[in-house]
Amino acid sequence: MSDTPAAFLPFAPTPDRDSRPYWDALAQGRFELQRCQACRALRWPAREICNRCRSFENSWEEHDGQGCVASWVRTHQAFAPALRDAVPYTVVQVRLDAQDDLLLIGGWLAARTPRFEEPVSMQLLAGSDGHHLPCWGPAEDLPA
Amino acid sequence: MSTLTLGTRAIQAALDDAGLDAEALDGLATFRVGDSVLPSILAQALGIRDLRYYVDQFGGGSVSHSVIGQAALAVHAGVADYVVCYRALNARSEFRMGGTGRPLVDAVETQYQAPYGYFVPPQQFAMVARAHMEKYGTTEAQLGRVAVTQRANAVHNERAMMRAPMTLEDYFAARWVVEPFRLFDCCLETDAAVAVLVTSAERARDLRKPPVLISGAAWGSGQTLYSNQQPDTTRTAAADLAPRLFEMAGVGPNDIDVAQLYDCFTYSVLVQLEDYGFCAKGEGGPFLESGATALGGSIPVNTHGGFLSEGYVHGLNHVYECVSQLRGEAGARQVDGARVGLSTAQPGYISGNASALVLRTDA
Repeated sequence: MSDTPAAFLPFAPTPDRDSRPYWDALAQGRFELQRCQACRALRWPAREICNRCRSFENSWEEHDGQGCVASWVRTHQAFAPALRDAVPYTVVQVRLDAQDDLLLIGGWLAARTPRFEEPVSMQLLAGSDGHHLPCWGPAEDLPA
Repeated sequence: MSTLTLGTRAIQAALDDAGLDAEALDGLATFRVGDSVLPSILAQALGIRDLRYYVDQFGGGSVSHSVIGQAALAVHAGVADYVVCYRALNARSEFRMGGTGRPLVDAVETQYQAPYGYFVPPQQFAMVARAHMEKYGTTEAQLGRVAVTQRANAVHNERAMMRAPMTLEDYFAARWVVEPFRLFDCCLETDAAVAVLVTSAERARDLRKPPVLISGAAWGSGQTLYSNQQPDTTRTAAADLAPRLFEMAGVGPNDIDVAQLYDCFTYSVLVQLEDYGFCAKGEGGPFLESGATALGGSIPVNTHGGFLSEGYVHGLNHVYECVSQLRGEAGARQVDGARVGLSTAQPGYISGNASALVLRTDA
C-alpha cells in the first residue's frame, strides 16, 4: 500500500473553551493530557470536570503518547473536496498505555497496514498551516 | 420536494391509514440534526391551532425510537390524545450524511477527528467494526451476509429502492468506501418521510386499522469514542438498554418474532444481534451465517430490506415495517404469525444514545 502518510491534515483544528490548552500545547510541540488532581485519573478529550469523581481540579501534563493500536480504518472515498488527492489514507485509534480507556484518533505514520494491538509511538506532525497533530506508528517506522 | 411537504404528506398518510381527521391531532414530535423543517411550522401548515404536546429532539438515528416512547408517556399522562411522530429528510438531495455538501456536524468531538480526514459515520462505524473483527474473528463475508440477506427481503418490498437480487460475490465486487466497509455495507441516503400515530390503546381500537401496542420502550445513554469510561468499543448501549426494555415488555429475546434493527451499516446489525441477546457476545457473525436472521429463520431481521436496501428514514421506517408485520400486512415478506416485534434505534457507541421499542399485536 502506498498511502499518503498521515500528514495531509485537511482541516485545521477548531479549539473550544475546554480544549484550548490542549491545542496550544500542541502548537508548541507538546502533547499534553489532563490529570484529575483529586483522583489522579487521566482524561481525554479536554473537559473541566472529572467523570470519575466530579472534581474540577485538574492540571495538564506532558505525555509520551505511547500506546497500542485499538483499531484502524482506511478511507477510499473522498468525503470532502479537500480529500480528493489524499485518498486512500489510514486513520488509527490508539489506546494509550497509561490508561486503557484513553482511546485517541490519530494519523498513521507507516506505509504498511496497522496490526491489532501492536505497540506504537507518537510523533507530532506539522500541518500545512502550522498546527501540530499527534500521529502514531511503529517506533522503527517513525520519520527521524 | 421540501421537508415540509414530505412531512405533511407522511402525516396525512398516517391519518388516512387510521381514519382519523387532522382536527383530532394534538401532538407532534420529531428529531433532526438541523436538516428538516421546524415542527411548529409543520403544525401551522396542517392548521393545528392548539398543539398540546410537541418535541423537537436534536439527534439522529439513536433517538428515533425515543420520540415514540416519549409520545407514549405523554398520552399515558393525559397531556395529549393523538401524537404523530415523524421524520422528514432529504438525505439524498439536500443533506448527505456522507458529508458531501454538508458542513461538519457541530459536535465537541469533531475538532479531534476532522484534522485527520475522519469525520463521517462510515469511518466511525468502520472503526468499531474493525475492532470487533480483530477481537472476535468476525469476517468481511459475515458483514456481507447482512447486506445479502436484507436485499433478499427487499426483493419482496415494492417500496424498496434496491430490489435487484444480490449475491455475496456482488458484495465483494463492489468498491471500498472505508475499509473494512465496501459499498453495500453502507446504507442508502434517501429523500423520505415516515409518520407514526401514537394514542391510547382504547382510542386506537376505535380507529380504522387493528392497533399495535407499545409494550416496551427504553432509552440508553451508553458511551462514545470520547467518553473515557469504556475500554471495550465493541459493546454498545443496547446491552444496557435491552434488559430493561424486555423486562417492561415482559418478554425475552426468544419471544421476539421479528426484529427491525438499525442498519446504518451492516456491522450495526451484527453487534445488535449480540447486544439485544439473540446470540452470545462475539457470535454475531456465525449467527448471521446460520441463516437465523433470514425470512424463515428463527428471528427474521429487517424484513423490509432496511436502510441498506429499502431506504433511509433514520429509524422510523423500521417502526413502520414492524407495525406492518404485526398487522399481517407485509405481503410476500410476511413473517407468519408475528405477534411480538423489536424495533431499534442506532445502538449507541458513536452518538452515546440509543432507544428501542417492543411492539405487539392487540390480542
